[in-house]
Amino acid sequence: MTARHVCALVLLVVGTGVLLLSAVGLVALPRPFQRLHALTPASTVGGPLVAFALAVETGPGRAAVKLLVIAVIVAFGGAVTAMAIGRATAQHEHLLRKDSPE
Amino acid sequence: MNAWLLATAVLLTLGMPPCVWAAGRGSAVERLAGLNLATTVVTVVLLLTAQGFDRSSFADLGLVLAVLGPAGTLVFARFLGGRSIEAPDTRRTHGKA
Repeated sequence: MTARHVCALVLLVVGTGVLLLSAVGLVALPRPFQRLHALTPASTVGGPLVAFALAVETGPGRAAVKLLVIAVIVAFGGAVTAMAIGRATAQHEHLLRKDSPE
Repeated sequence: MNAWLLATAVLLTLGMPPCVWAAGRGSAVERLAGLNLATTVVTVVLLLTAQGFDRSSFADLGLVLAVLGPAGTLVFARFLGGRSIEAPDTRRTHGKA
């Protein structure tokens, strides 16, 4: 078991743990705005950490670069969708004015 | 079974049921949170499966889902939010609107 494999396993365990905590938080948190707090750690920390673990295990090369690109896409997409869901929830709760900027 | 397939099994058995539960109850806007987290979990599961079975082509599925998942959630959020704000206000109005 090389040091690279150990590093990949540590990243994998941490990323999987964050994803599981987010899933538990999605059920445990009662209010819609509180549930948004469970979304962002999964997409900005958990998913990229697992992708980093896979990239470390794969080693330098084109496959690792693809995994890192996927990690970046997941992180950005998760942040953007969390903001969109927050805005949709605010509109649903009538917390925004009709003429508020897009 | 290697560590990658073990992580896949853990995510599918412990991570997905809360997402399905959250996506199946509440109002339409509240279900979006479950849908978004399920997209992230499935993307990670596809990547882990590619490594676990040593089939690098499976990672392409994860890449496609990572691109299309947020796009779908954005479309849903746009539609649901716009529909909500045009509906008649039956709740107490917050602030001075």
